[in-house]
Amino acid sequence: MSRGRRGAIKPVATREDDMRLTRRSFVATTAATALTGLRFSMRSAVAADAKVIKFGMPQDFTKIYTFVTAEYSQGARDYFTLVNGRGGVNGYKIDAEVSDHANDLPRAIEAYERLKREGMVLIDPLSTPVARALVSRALEDKINLVTAFSGRSDAADGAVFPYVMPLSPNYWTQAGLIIDFFRQQDKDLKGKKIVLVHIDTPFGKEPIPIFQALGQKLGYSFETFPYTPPGNDQSAIWPQVRRAKPDWVVFWGAGVGQTTALSEAVRNGIPMDRMSSSVWISESDMDVVGKDAVKGVLKFEPCASGRSPKVVADIIKEVAGKGQGAGPEAKIGTSYYNYGVMMAAIMVEGVRVAFQKNPNGPITGPWLNDGLTAITDFTAEGLLPAMTVTKDDHQGGGKGRIARWDGTKFVPQTDWFSANQDVVWAEIKKSAENFKTTGK
Amino acid sequence: MFYRRAGIRHTTYRQERQLWPLPFDRFLVGLVAALLIIAPFVVDRLYLVAYLLPWLIWSSAALGLNLLMGGAGQIHLGYGAVMAIGAYTSVHLVRFGTPFELAMVAGGLASAVIGSIFGFAALRVKSLYLAMATIAMQYIVDFVITHVPGISGGGMASVEVPPVRFLGILIEGDLRTYFMALAVCAVVALFMLNVGRTAFGRALAAVREKDYAAEIIGIDTFKYKLLAFWSSSFIGGVIGCVLVVCYLRSVSPEQFHLDLSIQLLAMVIVGGLGSVLGSFFGAGLILFAPIVFNNLIGAGADRLGIAIGADLRAHLPLMLYGALIVVFLIIEPLGLAKIYDNVRNYFLVWPFRHARR
Repeated sequence: MSRGRRGAIKPVATREDDMRLTRRSFVATTAATALTGLRFSMRSAVAADAKVIKFGMPQDFTKIYTFVTAEYSQGARDYFTLVNGRGGVNGYKIDAEVSDHANDLPRAIEAYERLKREGMVLIDPLSTPVARALVSRALEDKINLVTAFSGRSDAADGAVFPYVMPLSPNYWTQAGLIIDFFRQQDKDLKGKKIVLVHIDTPFGKEPIPIFQALGQKLGYSFETFPYTPPGNDQSAIWPQVRRAKPDWVVFWGAGVGQTTALSEAVRNGIPMDRMSSSVWISESDMDVVGKDAVKGVLKFEPCASGRSPKVVADIIKEVAGKGQGAGPEAKIGTSYYNYGVMMAAIMVEGVRVAFQKNPNGPITGPWLNDGLTAITDFTAEGLLPAMTVTKDDHQGGGKGRIARWDGTKFVPQTDWFSANQDVVWAEIKKSAENFKTTGK
Repeated sequence: MFYRRAGIRHTTYRQERQLWPLPFDRFLVGLVAALLIIAPFVVDRLYLVAYLLPWLIWSSAALGLNLLMGGAGQIHLGYGAVMAIGAYTSVHLVRFGTPFELAMVAGGLASAVIGSIFGFAALRVKSLYLAMATIAMQYIVDFVITHVPGISGGGMASVEVPPVRFLGILIEGDLRTYFMALAVCAVVALFMLNVGRTAFGRALAAVREKDYAAEIIGIDTFKYKLLAFWSSSFIGGVIGCVLVVCYLRSVSPEQFHLDLSIQLLAMVIVGGLGSVLGSFFGAGLILFAPIVFNNLIGAGADRLGIAIGADLRAHLPLMLYGALIVVFLIIEPLGLAKIYDNVRNYFLVWPFRHARR
């Protein structure tokens, strides 16, 4: 009997033991993994003294920008592979560390601090919230914060933001160029009506001052139609847009908001050839809404798209051709891919100029900043309009062009041009001055 | 062996009422406190500013939410908005020249007032319906912030935090911001440890278990539900202020979106509802599991020479993170704090398993 009782108790106890054991070993394993993690990151800190120039590219692969980031990052890394394959710059290789910050500030700040310790001289977070949160740190630590197509528009004013580098036409310039294109088409915008359909976030409202200022100057009337973020339902807004009978429509959003805007515009019979987007629309978006349905839609192009630019052709031959591509070959030459190539090319050009100015380094943030702010007439072999960055103008001249979707690709409608920079710079100066005096 | 439970019997009420009656627990708490105090001098700067500092701040916020959720049983999905109110109020007050100490309290009060107004919903609705009402708060506050240029800071929607002094000490650099956050966290943690032993805390517990029953035994549920919202929102407001002053250094609307509210909710649930220790564990897991996995996978792939695509490399940490949360909740639905408690209970009389506990 006692045997039976013991027998009855024992399995229970053993199961409990097992349970405890799994729990304990589970906790132990987790702790061990965490510790290994620490050791790994320390290791990589030690390995940083080879002949490399460290760039940090923590970007949002998983939360909001997703496929935008994937294509952008693929382009940037392919370009770095191309440069490194040709021997790097002055014998130095570009080491771009790519990771995911999921648009989450603690993760982004962790990545920033970790990379800073590893000697990073440039960081490209490709996210407006993250860029805004990193501004004060970057200014303090003298690390070049690239905010291409993101971050503060007024960072174009290099006197106030010495280490914040948009290095691309900011949203105000894009608005200015789009309006000038409308003017070129209609000869005169007096009495016309232009509407802005935008996501109701700070990013979406950013271009409004430029549209308003130009409206006063050129005599068109201007109206805004905000939709709620994230923008996957805009069905209430577009009938109102139709009723407003606009001559031109600008739609301003990113990611899912863009494709939704296009399909709602089609549904409401807005003429596609009277609609324009900022930089944030690509071939992948057209796949979603139907390539033929949106024939004629316009966009702002900061650099050439497609595979014909020489740099992209070189990447296909020397990187993808050798199986060293960073992603699917089908994506090479898409708009966002080429943005990535463009930004990587500008960064590398900055490194090249920095070596020209101070061949012996030391390789630091200020050293690279000297190079980036002395880029002169750089076109990346025809990929982008001639770009000149100075200590005062971090935008690089504010040139771009307008392209039209023809059902298969974006076809340029204009040459590279710049317009309305007086209005844009007035706004930049005003906003930067405001930042300097009040921190807003 | 560690706790020597068998040999200790309290002889005075004072002894019995201590926060940590067992010497070993007191030793552990003292050890952790000492480690946190000497950490800035021994730990690498990276771990101080990118791990310890956010951990302390997020833990404090989780504690504040835990008072409402674990203490009073009222669900809140808009705690990020509560923190936003405190952050914006205090930063704007500091910009207008208010001393930081006052601005911090004023931030807390503003959060408490607005938080309690939305708390009125809790008088009428419960559980999922209350969750919806508090989500509404999140969206309304977000909307107001982005649409009033005076609050958000205008076109760029970002307001830099001016240099602030707390009791005459300039809060800047890594050390002072850390100690500021540590001090606030300690105050909140002590409050939370003690609140359960007060009449207020017991009333909240009664409301949490069943509000009709609480009413019958003479607890004014109207008052205590609102007080729960009031005090929890006050803590949220103060922590929002600490978050922007010590860690983010600028305020913009995206910092306080629904993501933050959900993150805090996850910390409270994964850590353990109503547990002080759990809030710290939960904050640690939710904040750092993705980062640690990210670094591990990145470093591992580089060192072992495995080619992982960027997409997979970005998503794999999130998959592991999700799996980890599920596994933890399956092992112990009551949260990480309960896992700790199980271990502690086991060792309480170890090596004797059948002694009285």
